[in-house]
Amino acid sequence: MSASSAAAPGTGAKPNAGLAWLARIAELRAWLFLLILVVFFETWAQVAYGVTFFGSSYNLQSIAVFAVAPLLLALGSTFVIISGGIDLSIGFVMGLSAVVAAHGVNIAGHWLSPFPAMLVGIVAGLLVTLVPGKINGLLIAKLNIPPFIGTLGMFGVARGVAFLIAGGTTVPVSNHWFASLGNDRIFGLPYVVLVTVLFLIGMHYLLSQTRFGQHTYALGANEQATIRAGIDVDRLKQRLYMLSAFCAGIGGVLYAARFTAGAAQAGEPLLLDSIAAVVIGGASLFGGSGTVFGTVAGSLVIAVIQYGLVFINVEPFWQFVAVGCVIIISVLVDQTQRRFTER
Amino acid sequence: MRKLIAAMAAVAVGATMFASAGYAADKKLTIALIPGLTTDAFYISMRKGAEAAAKAVGVELVFQGAPDFNPVLQVPVLDAVIARHPDAILIAPTDKNQLVQPLKKAVDAGVTVVTVDTFIGTGKYQTGAGDADFPISYIASDNILGGEIAARALAKAVGDKGKVFVSNVKPGISTTDQREEGFKREMKNHPGITVLDTQFNDDDANKAASQLQSVLARNGDLVGVFGANLFSALGAANGVKQANKIGVVKVVAFDAPNSIVDNLKSGLVDIAIAQHPAEIGYYGVMTAYAHLTGNSVPTSIGTGFTVMDKTNIDDPNVARFIYKE
Repeated sequence: MSASSAAAPGTGAKPNAGLAWLARIAELRAWLFLLILVVFFETWAQVAYGVTFFGSSYNLQSIAVFAVAPLLLALGSTFVIISGGIDLSIGFVMGLSAVVAAHGVNIAGHWLSPFPAMLVGIVAGLLVTLVPGKINGLLIAKLNIPPFIGTLGMFGVARGVAFLIAGGTTVPVSNHWFASLGNDRIFGLPYVVLVTVLFLIGMHYLLSQTRFGQHTYALGANEQATIRAGIDVDRLKQRLYMLSAFCAGIGGVLYAARFTAGAAQAGEPLLLDSIAAVVIGGASLFGGSGTVFGTVAGSLVIAVIQYGLVFINVEPFWQFVAVGCVIIISVLVDQTQRRFTER
Repeated sequence: MRKLIAAMAAVAVGATMFASAGYAADKKLTIALIPGLTTDAFYISMRKGAEAAAKAVGVELVFQGAPDFNPVLQVPVLDAVIARHPDAILIAPTDKNQLVQPLKKAVDAGVTVVTVDTFIGTGKYQTGAGDADFPISYIASDNILGGEIAARALAKAVGDKGKVFVSNVKPGISTTDQREEGFKREMKNHPGITVLDTQFNDDDANKAASQLQSVLARNGDLVGVFGANLFSALGAANGVKQANKIGVVKVVAFDAPNSIVDNLKSGLVDIAIAQHPAEIGYYGVMTAYAHLTGNSVPTSIGTGFTVMDKTNIDDPNVARFIYKE
């Protein structure tokens, strides 16, 4: 995409310049949506209540904390979706990780002081996700099971195991370091937001600057060509699904820290929002395109809509309508842009 | 071919009769408990109560259910239980209309039906009205009363004035709808308190937290929130914490699993309204047993509530109502 916009000024022809603009707008559409939402809610708040919406650091923090969990799921999904796959298991992998982290902190707390006990729990919660991730990868790469089916199966397995480990209920954690990680701030910035921002910068680097990222795009654009280019596609796929599960694991650990409880169903309601965030962010479900920052914008769009509509006191069911409309418009922009640029 | 089927049917009928005759001779009654979902401390406590009663009167208790509160998942479990032909089924129906026909099949097969926690039809049984009055009894907390108790406790905690709202799952669930109804009804008796619009969170704590923060952003004078179920309360409590308003915005939680009790002790949740699920399970089994042994039973039994807060949670008389896991 950046290649086409860079080439356009060189040719100097008017239609090409127009196309370049179109492509750029399409690329940035999630940020445009966000801008439109900002203007909309700010205007409404000013006119109706005489208060600022986005000028309030309280609102910004609330939205950021709200966006963390769906964004972490969406970051992993960005990679998987760019590669032409999908991972439906992440919601319950997140729950599994939350439950294991909660148990881990509690059990380690019997022998260790709170800080190392917290670390043990975090590591356990993250490592456990590699199991479903690896199995997803093996199913899809080695046994050629379609990602939709393979990860749907893992959706059930992870859910069952998470509930089994949790004993069918939520697992309370008492560890002040862990609770502090989930709820305290540094210079006004919640730790959960800080962790997420650092992680997403790393993910951006991984996708845009490394060979792994390039291969991910290649796999999504044309799997046969990627195989012929001598890239080990099987290994790549396994890594992608492990990465996706790992992202869900970070979401699960932060959830357990924030609510001081591990819940097997923690991530279930977030799955569709996270996929929507990736799509609004500009990734194509057919693979080959998408960016980390697009996904960030997509997640913020959903969080701002849901938070903002409560703020201006709109009937709650409009939230679903609004998010649905943004997804449809987003895909329409994408299709239109493709039709013009491919001509 | 037709003869063959007829012969097979005859054998099958004979076998069933033989089996049930064997059952009667055995004399040990079997009662099945089908919860709304298996993965919930509330129903796990109910099972404990049911097991205590089953042990006391010497009946066999079977516990089978689905992982989600959903009729599509519950009906197959019910069918499988009916196929094993227990003497009675205690069930928490996951929908008041969709479970009517499936439960009728149980009655047709000669199984006694008692509903626990939730109900079918109107919840008024053995009246001859409607097509869903066939269960012999409905045993549950009065959720409207529970909502009223929550409202009174919250009103007292906030000094009878200010803005509050209900954080709820989604509309259409009989129990949580009734809690909200009771809460709002009781708050009408407290003119100093304004009840804002209910926020629905789809059982997502993350969303419930965000909604509390958003409502608070618009209403700086918010003084209280009623979380109508576990995740609503956990989420609302976290929203209050994120906003640095612990103690300023009072949180009332419905239900009392361990995670809520921990939050009660740490001050994140101010008040918890505990139902008595073990009591529901106990009286469910006792009611079915009484009916099966030829005694008459009441068509509805209302079980109680316990109001928990930081000051009484360590009292053994209160702590015994914390849900067992």
